[in-house]
Amino acid sequence: MVEDTGVDGLYTKNPLVTSGPNLKFYAGAPIKIEDRNIIGVLFIADRISRRLSEIERETLRDLAEWVQLEIGCSNLFYTRGEDIDKIRQDLIVKNREVEASKAKIEVMLENIGDGVIGINNKGEIIFINKQVEILTGWREEELMGKSLIHSIKLIDGQGNEVPVSERPIRNALYSNKKVISNSYYYQRKDGSQFAVSITATPVVVYGLVIGGIDVFRDVTKEREVDRMKTEFISLASHQLRTPLSAIKWFTEMLVDGEMGSLNAEQKELVENIYQSNERMIGLVNTLLNISRIESGRIIIDPEPTDIKTLVDQVVLELQPKIQKKNHKLIVSVHGELPKIKIDPKLTRHVYMNLLTNAIKYTPEGGEIVVLISKSGNEIISQISDNGFGIPKRDQEKVFTKFFRSKNIIGIETDGTGLGLYLTKAIVDSSGGKIWFESEEGKGTTFWFILPSLGISSKDGEVSLDS
Amino acid sequence: MVSEAKTIMVVEDEVTLLQVIAKKLKVSGYSTITCISAKQAIDYLKNLDENPTAIWLDYYLPEMSGMDFMVEISNNAKWRSIPVIVVSNSAGEEKKKAMFALGAKKYLLKAQYRLDDIVKIIDEVITENQKSV
Repeated sequence: MVEDTGVDGLYTKNPLVTSGPNLKFYAGAPIKIEDRNIIGVLFIADRISRRLSEIERETLRDLAEWVQLEIGCSNLFYTRGEDIDKIRQDLIVKNREVEASKAKIEVMLENIGDGVIGINNKGEIIFINKQVEILTGWREEELMGKSLIHSIKLIDGQGNEVPVSERPIRNALYSNKKVISNSYYYQRKDGSQFAVSITATPVVVYGLVIGGIDVFRDVTKEREVDRMKTEFISLASHQLRTPLSAIKWFTEMLVDGEMGSLNAEQKELVENIYQSNERMIGLVNTLLNISRIESGRIIIDPEPTDIKTLVDQVVLELQPKIQKKNHKLIVSVHGELPKIKIDPKLTRHVYMNLLTNAIKYTPEGGEIVVLISKSGNEIISQISDNGFGIPKRDQEKVFTKFFRSKNIIGIETDGTGLGLYLTKAIVDSSGGKIWFESEEGKGTTFWFILPSLGISSKDGEVSLDS
Repeated sequence: MVSEAKTIMVVEDEVTLLQVIAKKLKVSGYSTITCISAKQAIDYLKNLDENPTAIWLDYYLPEMSGMDFMVEISNNAKWRSIPVIVVSNSAGEEKKKAMFALGAKKYLLKAQYRLDDIVKIIDEVITENQKSV
């Protein structure tokens, strides 16, 4: 406080005193922010000299504090306001991003070649893309809110409606797993049908299935190509049988010496031709069987079958090979095994393949064990050997078409890589299951299960080995 | 050894196969009548005084199929008793059923059998047929 600038030497030459307002009196109180920085002063001034009482000084200080408080508050408010603005800005940006990505997804969904149907957990349609309308002939408004399963009918190869329990979308939601189906037809609004490939996927949020997506496409062309492929293999294989028969029969006559006797070397050479030709015949047969299984046209003709007799027959047929390699074969069949309704021809193939493999891929003097037991409603067949085994790295490829494990290619040249593929296809088509365990250098055990209640028959057009 | 009186008619459009089959049957003691079509076979049958002992029949034949041939045979009182062995490179269930329904005695898949075995089967079929006649 300066009571009289004329007296206080510090201010006598101050410009505000000597000119301008010509201040004589000044009293100020500092205004601080956060108790530290002085951001200004609240002051009173006059052109005449004054003196403030203690109360007046106190009041000035109080006023300054009040100002200080007010400034502090609005400052705070200002900062908060800034935050909210920023949040608002961020929200707008995020919203735009969401909108953009939503638009992107919508454009993708609309322009995707596949039909996409979204359903909620009650199976009601909650969205469809344009392709659904194009493929099925149903309009969006006709489908929204309706049950997918009851709106778009799924038809099997025989023209019957696929039961709800086998609909891919139902099973996807039920099992919480992706379900792919390639063998059915969707029925359009006008009643016509198209071959469809469906991928049904559950939508899971925090472990809860909240709906599902049914993605499908028209595979009429693919099925046609597939059919042509199967037909081609079938035709080509049948055609191959004519020259193969000629080679077989001519060499047979030569080896048998029916056209004059051959010397030992000649005989050996012709014998080689005969054996190679036999392999080719086997290969053609396998290819034909595969094309039959793959085409789904295979006849499944179950009849009450005595597994023991069936296995005995297979073993009898393989006896020469077993003896040649000096293997020990142990067959043990569950004592009270009832006759079960299976397709003996198909099942025979499975035993034949697994046993042939065991014989082939076990070094001389090996031990092969066949165990057939019953557990609940299942007949379990176990075929084990102490042979070369399947290396770990190859195990997942064992049932793949044309796959042969590296460790046996050099040892056993005779093999197509088709046997186990075919065997698995047969077991699968018979409602069974097949798996194995193996350790390289120790041996392999295959198991396969057939339902003891039997398998259901299936009308078809073709059978194996025909 | 089979008596010389036994004659097998072989109907097969593949000349190479026809050749080897005829050779085999000959060394096995049969005489043969080889036909490269079913039509030719029918013509022969019409002109023969005596029926062949058995017929080896292919399924896929040009113009007149093995099936059509079987229909003709089964409809003809004179030929009906000739045992027919079908040897084809395709042995679908339906084809087999149809052929058996028309009276075929055996249906063999070509590349699956050695000639030795087929001759044995023919022998058996002939013996069986002679018993029943």
